[in-house]
Amino acid sequence: MHFEEIVRVALHALMDHKFRSFLTMLGIIFGVASVIAMLSIGEGAKREAIAKYQDLGVNNIIVREKKLSNAELEEVRARFSPGLSINDARVIKEIVPEVAQVAPQAEKESEVKMGDMSAKSTVIGITPAFIEILNYETEEGSFITADHYNNSLKVCVLGAGLANSFFSNQSALGKMVKVDDQWLEVVGVMKSKAVFTETVGELASRDLNNDVYLPLTTFNKRFAKENLLESEIKQITVRVNRSDKLMESAALIRSILDRHHFNNQDYSIVIPFELLKQEEKERQIYNILLGAIAAISLIVGGIGIMNIMLASVMERTREIGIRRAVGARKKDIMSQFVVEAVAISITGGLIGVVLGVVLSFSISLFTDVTTYIRVYSIFIAFFFSVLVGISFGYLPAKNAANLEPIESIRYE
Amino acid sequence: MLIEIKNLVKNYVMGDIQVQALRDINLTIDRNEYVAIMGPSGSGKSTLMNILGCLDTPTEGQYLFDNVDVSTLSDDELSAMRNREIGFIFQNFNLLPKMNSLQNVELPLMYAGIPKAMRRERAIEALERVGLADRMDHKPTELSGGQRQRVAVARALVTKPGILLADEPTGALDSKTGVEIMALFDELHREGNTLILITHEREIAEYSRRIIQIRDGLIFSDEENIRSDDVEEKIYKTRG
Ligand SMILES: Nc1ncnc2c1ncn2[C@@H]1O[C@H](COP(=O)(O)OP(=O)(O)OP(=O)(O)O)[C@@H](O)[C@H]1O
Ligand SMILES: [Mg+2]
Repeated sequence: MHFEEIVRVALHALMDHKFRSFLTMLGIIFGVASVIAMLSIGEGAKREAIAKYQDLGVNNIIVREKKLSNAELEEVRARFSPGLSINDARVIKEIVPEVAQVAPQAEKESEVKMGDMSAKSTVIGITPAFIEILNYETEEGSFITADHYNNSLKVCVLGAGLANSFFSNQSALGKMVKVDDQWLEVVGVMKSKAVFTETVGELASRDLNNDVYLPLTTFNKRFAKENLLESEIKQITVRVNRSDKLMESAALIRSILDRHHFNNQDYSIVIPFELLKQEEKERQIYNILLGAIAAISLIVGGIGIMNIMLASVMERTREIGIRRAVGARKKDIMSQFVVEAVAISITGGLIGVVLGVVLSFSISLFTDVTTYIRVYSIFIAFFFSVLVGISFGYLPAKNAANLEPIESIRYE
Repeated sequence: MLIEIKNLVKNYVMGDIQVQALRDINLTIDRNEYVAIMGPSGSGKSTLMNILGCLDTPTEGQYLFDNVDVSTLSDDELSAMRNREIGFIFQNFNLLPKMNSLQNVELPLMYAGIPKAMRRERAIEALERVGLADRMDHKPTELSGGQRQRVAVARALVTKPGILLADEPTGALDSKTGVEIMALFDELHREGNTLILITHEREIAEYSRRIIQIRDGLIFSDEENIRSDDVEEKIYKTRG
């Protein structure tokens, strides 16, 4: 008997009992849909994490000043630590072998004004190296250039959010904004960044779109420190050539800084890539759990197929007997029932894929859970549904094939 | 010899009781014979027929089909034999209820691996043969008893088997339809087919060339039958 023949016979049998076939499919439909939805939730979480750490740079080491109270600051200074300084940045670049670039940054909470509008913002003094290290891009204009930096020009680059609230659709380039008591010319506007909603290591969550960037030289010249104890800079971002040298370089940086800060722990080191790996590990457990739930629902679907197929074999004993009497071999009967089970699971699998995709989109649309469907997950879900069909269809099919022709033909 | 049966016994065990359906059957049937098996109800006719049709296996004894010991055949070989060598016409038709006449007749050809187009052609031919070309799309429930019987005959014929086995082929039919079926059998016999039919009606057995009587699982008599002019005339008239 040809394969297409077997398929035709099986499909006929299923069409004879449309409603029952559909009910049998339900288990597979929900199983496949849940596999796809679960995988998409896992993938969505993964992508979100990667995007978050990509902003910080996967090859970067971030040295950040610890938040200390005035009393603590006084104590630290009394023990000779000058706090983070431009010199620290320079030394790191000179001594640590794998370091490609360093970007020190000073920060200040300021009030930014434009006309009669004003906003609270973090003003960040940077060097031109900053944009080499972080994958920030400008929407219009340029970033802080070497020229701006060397000549301590009174220019700034606005975060996308700030630019939008001040200038809405107009171009901000060439406009003047007032930061505290200083007038600065806008030379660029940043592309919009994903909002940090979580604290990453020592880095507090905040909206990067409200930042104002200006040359560090200008910053030091024009903006007074809040108090004398304050350190020169708040953060040094270090870019390492190779991500497998991150840990090694971080250790070296730590020993350098400890020496320069006389063993005062007034800074902390964040390695985004290591955090990413760690988070991934934690998420894996969660993913396994999701996968297990989905797998169980698929298996339950398979048991549903087996259950109904067993009943159907009983009910069709006589049909099987007649087929055997006119010359069907065991394997003809066997393949007929296996193909029926597979046809159920393929159809159910296809419907399940559609449902799973819809489900996954609905989840990201109506909840704040991000989902992402990878094509391979559709194939996995579909493949497993067919596998379930074959494995759970096997036993009923074998039962059918092993019926004695004479007994089944007499069966009432 | 087409069929050779030696010391055949068939017992059914039901709990503590053993039913001896066939006790000690010895029988040979040649190619192109036309045999009627007669006997009272429960005498073992269907049991014998099922064994001849390779649907059932004997408890003891030997069954040689075309000089091959059937007990040595594998399940697949038995299936092939049922498919190609034997045409079985059941007492209760045993048609598949969801399929129309054409599909029912095509069924054995499908398991013989014959391509669809040729299968259809041959099935139509067989249905024409039994005079049912105009009922091809009817399902068994949409056919009369006689028509169902003829679909069953067409299904048995369609693979051009060496032997036709019919269990009470006219049992459910009125005498006129019965005669039509018997005329068809006669034609098949004259074309060279081997026919074995079961009946409890003497009138039907008279159409055959040899009558075997069974009582309580034993062959009671086995005689040649010389057809009466009356029977010849009925066949002649029916064929027209
Ligand atoms: N599957 C079975 N299990 C037990 N006993 C059986 C079985 N099939 C047949 N028998 C017994 O074997 C004997 C012969 O049965 P069989 O069907 O061959 O009779 P028959 O001659 O065909 O009768 P009828 O003319 O009524 O069809 C009967 O006594 C019957 O009860
Ligand atoms: Mg009988």
